[in-house]
Amino acid sequence: MSIPLSYPLMLAAALFGIGLYGALSQRNAIRILMGIELMLNAVNINLVAFAYYLEGAAAAGQVFALFIMTVSAAEVALALAIILLLAKREKHIDIEQVNLLRW
Amino acid sequence: MDFDPTRVAFIVVSAIAVVSAFRVVTAAKIMHAALWLGLTFLMLAGVFLLMGAEFLAAAQVLIYVGAITTIILFGIMLSEAAEVRGRGAAPLPVRRDDASLFRRIVLPALAVLAFVGVMVVVYSQVSWPDAPAGLGGDTVRMIGRALFTDFIIPFELAAVLLLIALIGAIVIAVRDNGRREQG
Amino acid sequence: MVELAWLIPLLPLVAAVVIAFLGKRLPGQGDRIGIAAISMAFVLSVGVLVGVMNGGTAAGSVTWAIHGDLVLRMGWEVGGIGAVMLVVVTLVSLMVHVFSLEYMKGDVRYQRYYGVLSLFTFSMLGLVLADNLLLLFIFWELVGLCSFLLIGHWYEDLDNVRAANKAFLTTRVGDVGMFIGIMLLFSQAGSFRFDEIAAAVAAGDVAGWALAAGAILLFAGAVGKSAQFPLHVWLPDAMAGPTPASALIHAATMVAAGVYLVARAFGIFEPSDAAMSVVAWIGAITALFAATIGVVMEDIKRVLAYSTISQLGFMVAALGVGGYTAAMFHLMTHAFFKALLFLASGSVIHATGTQNMHEMGGLFKKLPITGWTWLIGAGALIGIPPLSGFFSKEEILIDAYAANPAIFWVLVAAAALTAFYTTRATYLTFFGAPRDRAAYEKAHEGGMVMTYPLIILGALAAVTGFLAGPFADLVYYGHPHRAEFNTFVFGVATVVWVAGVLLALAIYKFNLVSRRRLIQAFYPIWMLLKRRYYIDDLYNLVFVRGTIGLAMVMAWIDRTIVDGIVNGVAWATRKLSGFIGEFDLGVVDGAVNGIAGAFVVGSRLFRRVQTGLFQSYALVLFLGLVAGLVILVIGG
Repeated sequence: MSIPLSYPLMLAAALFGIGLYGALSQRNAIRILMGIELMLNAVNINLVAFAYYLEGAAAAGQVFALFIMTVSAAEVALALAIILLLAKREKHIDIEQVNLLRW
Repeated sequence: MDFDPTRVAFIVVSAIAVVSAFRVVTAAKIMHAALWLGLTFLMLAGVFLLMGAEFLAAAQVLIYVGAITTIILFGIMLSEAAEVRGRGAAPLPVRRDDASLFRRIVLPALAVLAFVGVMVVVYSQVSWPDAPAGLGGDTVRMIGRALFTDFIIPFELAAVLLLIALIGAIVIAVRDNGRREQG
Repeated sequence: MVELAWLIPLLPLVAAVVIAFLGKRLPGQGDRIGIAAISMAFVLSVGVLVGVMNGGTAAGSVTWAIHGDLVLRMGWEVGGIGAVMLVVVTLVSLMVHVFSLEYMKGDVRYQRYYGVLSLFTFSMLGLVLADNLLLLFIFWELVGLCSFLLIGHWYEDLDNVRAANKAFLTTRVGDVGMFIGIMLLFSQAGSFRFDEIAAAVAAGDVAGWALAAGAILLFAGAVGKSAQFPLHVWLPDAMAGPTPASALIHAATMVAAGVYLVARAFGIFEPSDAAMSVVAWIGAITALFAATIGVVMEDIKRVLAYSTISQLGFMVAALGVGGYTAAMFHLMTHAFFKALLFLASGSVIHATGTQNMHEMGGLFKKLPITGWTWLIGAGALIGIPPLSGFFSKEEILIDAYAANPAIFWVLVAAAALTAFYTTRATYLTFFGAPRDRAAYEKAHEGGMVMTYPLIILGALAAVTGFLAGPFADLVYYGHPHRAEFNTFVFGVATVVWVAGVLLALAIYKFNLVSRRRLIQAFYPIWMLLKRRYYIDDLYNLVFVRGTIGLAMVMAWIDRTIVDGIVNGVAWATRKLSGFIGEFDLGVVDGAVNGIAGAFVVGSRLFRRVQTGLFQSYALVLFLGLVAGLVILVIGG
């Protein structure tokens, strides 16, 4: 009646990797955002898993996961606002053509 | 090995999650990618449920599946009508240019594979506890108590953060409208 | 009353916040709020001082962070030295606040000025009350920030901006050392608190090398903040700020913070002979060196700035020879008489509109109150009995004489030069014939708000010397110690100041020696002093130019190598396959195409410089993380 701790950890690693690949390889800003969301979720899996398996970590792990959800909700709202602004101004959301960081 | 329904359920849910996550990255149409993302979030809620985090599972469905996926869908519809209608849609709009291909696909893939490899090695080397420590029933009560005692300041700060994000998002979106009308 | 000491810094903080956010709508742009807050803080400080003199002490703290067994607490503490500093800081700050009412009237950034002044007062009071190195460091940086803001108050002028940057960056050099020192002491003693570190040192828990290194690194911070050699270069330039702010920050309080730091952490310095001799010699060298430059400066504020550096050198040297009480006493008297001199110079500048002493002269008749108070301040600076500076300087000299005669003679030489340049500045400004008729004609004494602070500070500069007895009972390290009167030291000190004054009068008043002749005779030395020993030029050459050069090199590396790796690997792959294909076509064709291809690739390499794509940066970042993980896995 139990799941070895390594299962959720592996799942988290896989999701994090996929999310990271998405965030690094895509040109579309919204797709990058989705990749980042996958990464954040992978982190949550780790927190919940450790909360489940480690003595005395139950409350802290789940509360931390909750905070990550809060922060990622805020992040999505802001990121989409920026993307919409970009779409309005530039008529595209191709990150390759946004080079404000260029000096 | 005994047939363990929890373990089997976990493996099935995880498999769906990984496959749909993979589709998020590779789907040709961005709308599909967003829907796959919603499915991934839903499966992760199942994972939380299997690990005794009922409250988080509910929160996952509400926040990620309900809110974030919806916002992303709205974002897609508002920002790029072209790709939604199916014109000029490419799964990985990479320029036909070796350097670009290399930077966009090969290097990230190598980095990700290296990372996952290292993590697998790390996880396999550590001796983890086999059995869960056990959460002792009422996790909602436990989280609530923790939130309002040990984590009261982070909790309040999170509230402020949400408010700031709300205002910030509105300001960013509205300010440009004003400028456009003036100009 | 002593228990309320934590309120003292909060009052100016509240004032700063109110002025910053509501200043525009308040009468006088909020200046009254600042003055009211600082007045209350002053009254409280006096109460605290009285309480401490009756034997009270107080401390408090809040838990800031818990890490395993280690509990970090942020606390305040008020003892003898703290109580005295509270009164000095609030009093001088109050005088400066009032004086600025007229001096800064109609300024473009009046509100900002008062806000920063209040913020500075808060930071300085917090620095005084902090009971641990970490909290002190936070306030230390805050006062640095306020100093930066006030030096650059008139930021339309590029020179002021440069001066502000110079001050910020120069002090930062010392602060880096200070922070390393704090961490070193923490790793050895396991605490940031002054008393706990001192206890650990006394118990022998701190290794000898770490003690010496930690103390000297802490002292590096003091060298930067107190403008000691070789980090003194920022203070003369800091005179670009408004004069009352200079009086508060760059004469009386902030620059004394370095001295205060050494005194506060004296339990760390005192057991280490190496650290003590470094402190003593840096102080003595600075005292003499700055005094020599003060002799040739033409800008009245710069004379005072070099004088401040020199006097801070006296205090530091006193600490280095173990004269704890003498150093702190000189800090207090110097705060009063130097603030007085700065405010008086502000009054002169306000009246004449120039800072160049060669354009002044004869102003005593026009500005009698300023003139008299300046005379008191100058007398205290020279050390004429019975003015306050005499007592404190005498104590320093006695302690130095007892501990290290070499230091003593260096300080005596500095005292002689002090008498000379002070007399020179006094004569050029207030006496003789007016050299600029127009400025002289329109010069007139400021109103009440300008003269009253001068009179109050003048009275203090005249009489605080008599408080040496009670002061020594209140501020001491280990056990109360007061320098015994020493006839030889008194004799030497009297001879040198009289000689300095007479020599200056001989040259500037009676023209016994032609100044031109003097300059010609000692031209190389004169030039050396005029160029401030070429130290500023040297720093400019080595650090400023050097940094720009280094930045260019780094930019080039970033452009060609970092991006080159990303793009180059792809290029290599393509090139290789291309080259094999071309080889088939024939060596000649291949060579021609290859060279052309190399140009194409080379231009691509340089065209795609610094992509500006965050994903490239994120990728490199992540590769670094993976590399770190791999090292951890292999190593662990």
